[in-house]
Amino acid sequence: MTTVTNPLTLDSEAISRISDHLDEPDWLRSHRAEWWQRATATPPPTGEEEEWRRTDLAPLPRDAELLLDAPTVEVTAQPDATAGGLIVTDLRTAVREHPDLVRRFLGTSRGQASHAHFWALAQAGWTGGLFCYVPRGLTVDGTILARTVLERADVTYLPLTLVVAEEGSSVTLLEEVASPDGGAGWFGGIVEVRAAQAAHVRYAHLQQLGDGAWNIGAQRVEVGQDATVTTLNAEVGSKVTKVGLDVQMTGKGGTSKLLGLLAAGDDQHIDINSDQDLHASYTTSDLLYLSALYDRARAAFYGVTKVRAGSAQTSSYQECRNLLLSPQAGAEPIPVLEIETNDILRCGHGATAGAIDPTQLFYAQTRGLDPDAAERMIVRGFFEQVVAQIDDALIRERVLASLARRIGTTEAFA
Amino acid sequence: MALPNPALTQIPDSYKYGWHDSEQPPTTFPKGINAEIVEKISRVKGEPQWMTDLRLKAYRHFEARPLPMWGGDLTPIDFQDIYYYVTGSSDGAAQSWDDVPDYIRRTYDKLGIPEAEKKYLAGVGGQYDSEVIYHNIREDLEKQGVIFMGTDQALKEHPEIFREHFGTVIPANDNKLAALNTAVWSGGSFIYVPKGVHVELPLQAYFRINTENMGQFERTLIVADEGSSVHYVEGCTAPTYSTASLHSAVVEIIVKKGARVRYTTIQNWSHNVYNLVTKRAVAHEDAVMEWVDGNLGSKLTMKYPSIYLLGERAHGEVLSIAFAGDDQHQDAGGKIIHAAPNTTSLITSKSISKGTGRTSYRGLVKVYPGCEKSKSTVRCDALILDERARSDTYPYMEIDEEDVTIGHEATVSKVGSEQLFYLMSRGLSEAEASAMIVNGFIEPIVKELPMEYAVEMNRLIQLQMEGAVG
Repeated sequence: MTTVTNPLTLDSEAISRISDHLDEPDWLRSHRAEWWQRATATPPPTGEEEEWRRTDLAPLPRDAELLLDAPTVEVTAQPDATAGGLIVTDLRTAVREHPDLVRRFLGTSRGQASHAHFWALAQAGWTGGLFCYVPRGLTVDGTILARTVLERADVTYLPLTLVVAEEGSSVTLLEEVASPDGGAGWFGGIVEVRAAQAAHVRYAHLQQLGDGAWNIGAQRVEVGQDATVTTLNAEVGSKVTKVGLDVQMTGKGGTSKLLGLLAAGDDQHIDINSDQDLHASYTTSDLLYLSALYDRARAAFYGVTKVRAGSAQTSSYQECRNLLLSPQAGAEPIPVLEIETNDILRCGHGATAGAIDPTQLFYAQTRGLDPDAAERMIVRGFFEQVVAQIDDALIRERVLASLARRIGTTEAFA
Repeated sequence: MALPNPALTQIPDSYKYGWHDSEQPPTTFPKGINAEIVEKISRVKGEPQWMTDLRLKAYRHFEARPLPMWGGDLTPIDFQDIYYYVTGSSDGAAQSWDDVPDYIRRTYDKLGIPEAEKKYLAGVGGQYDSEVIYHNIREDLEKQGVIFMGTDQALKEHPEIFREHFGTVIPANDNKLAALNTAVWSGGSFIYVPKGVHVELPLQAYFRINTENMGQFERTLIVADEGSSVHYVEGCTAPTYSTASLHSAVVEIIVKKGARVRYTTIQNWSHNVYNLVTKRAVAHEDAVMEWVDGNLGSKLTMKYPSIYLLGERAHGEVLSIAFAGDDQHQDAGGKIIHAAPNTTSLITSKSISKGTGRTSYRGLVKVYPGCEKSKSTVRCDALILDERARSDTYPYMEIDEEDVTIGHEATVSKVGSEQLFYLMSRGLSEAEASAMIVNGFIEPIVKELPMEYAVEMNRLIQLQMEGAVG
């Protein structure tokens, strides 16, 4: 493993060291150099920005060693899944085997404004990631599972995930990232999902990073005409998570659904900011994020729904609910609407924060449950609002198993 | 609007709506602000040294702080192009009835002035430029020990109670505009309600801008002592002048144990006014504070009445209506700070944007650790009437206590075509039907207004919908 100097002071020379190390083609060298320029030209957030007021970036372990030899993404799919031309593989492999395709889709967007700096850093400094390409008209059966397990906690790793669903295709993908506890690391993964006309994408992200990890990620979803994209983020691990969700409703009649489950305890800090940007007419975008907060955990949610002038008959809702399970837990849900036209079908938001209703606890106890079991059951019931919408059995099972670390197992109530 | 002030009824016919005088103001300091002007204001008013010092300290805060970069666009305000102290009336030559823009004249003609309710009003304080020239308090209130007078007068006549409370809710360095107000304040109302006294009828004051570029920096201080109650009504109507005018008031309210205060404002400044107001109340144990805030006029309003719930079981409510027509931006909302257990609050906001108007709800609910069993509900509804109109919702929530129930909900909608169709099938014109729907939309707040205001509000909405205004 080669040690590189502080990745934030990484210069163009160090960027080319990644290319040397991975023996990359010239186009990718210039891609990295170009994005490095952008990363340096786009200053990191100062904390003054509305999206960054609730997360202090000063303790971000910027000096953690850049992970040059990233683990290969383990992809599990149905045996005949690639028969129809599906490509789903580690990004480095994809660069070697499908250079034209990767080149066509890599770095086509600048990412969300709030995360532009981190987006550019990952474009320049990625050393691993996932590439998933679904050709036109292909329906991928079953669920693709892509799992990345880091062996060390104290590293900087900026993986890049690219999911491209061509016209009329359909795919379900669960991406998992995990790292060991202990040691401060920086996980700066970026995800880009592009759904072309009438494509259907279900993308789930299960974050199980170690307790020293700084998860500063961004996800961008572009929804084409009549396409449907559902994303699910289950945030279980990390010390600090600051994820930006960016949904661009660019094609008429597109639909997106953003689901989130957050279970945080100890001193975990989870901060999510979202942009649901409705440019095109007849689009629908709904967001539902649920947090269960234990110990001294804090969750912040700053979500903006923008309905652009000129769009017609759009429909959007944004909902953020927080269950506070300890006197020291805290929540800051802030759902923002910016509506530039009157021709809307439906638009609104809701946010709540509060403890478990004591009458529910009491009722559960009268039925013979001890207070802890009663609390677990109520939290599980609270999450059901999202869980019921996860129609893929594998994703539901793995997400629930992962959440069990915080909310307890569900078998007891089965 | 009722103007039972004899001084105002004697003005000439050409001035029948009571907003213009032809005499020269006796005291007008030059435009602009500096430490010397601030000190002169204090000196000309014959204020005690502590107030002069406070003004100067506030002026330094004003100078040091940057303009807020959020909310509306404040960059067109030239703080050196504003008169900071004027008494008496205004320069008559430039301001005749003919100078008043058509839309204001039409509004006044069509509104009429409802006087039906004046009997029910306990007292009237009219702010005439920067000096309160007239106050009318019912005798029985005086007997009860209620103090209701101009803030300047109160500083002279009730110095102890004044100094004890002034600037304690909104300190001089609170924000740039509150600092400006503290430095140059003039006029406003002072109300003290003694222990256990219930003021049965609303107290009312009218505020007016009368000189071009004359900023209004009134300062209102209301103290409701233990177990007392009072309803204060403030309404503004302003004539329009060609250059931008700044209105930057500060309102401080102290609601002591078990007391109850309601503060109602209907703001209908002309569309060149920047209305940047800091309003804050503290509510002690078992106290109830209610802000009823209507924003119809001004070019830009930034106003977020706030309530600090400092004592157990205190309750706070903010009811807010905003209407933004062409080129108007109403950035309004409310803030509730739960700083004691078992406190409850409710914010209800109804905003309507029309033409190129923009309404923004901006609010905060904060719950400090240890404030268990606190409950808060925030409900924001917006109606967007035109394709180019805009509506925003920025509801901030900071919850640091587990055992609470905090909820926020917002909807944005347009006037339903089925609703319109139905009403028009019953013989209403489109404008009438729209006005009826809008009036229904704001009904939950309008019904909380004193009757003359409710009547006026409904008429104004109707005029707006007919395109007769703005």
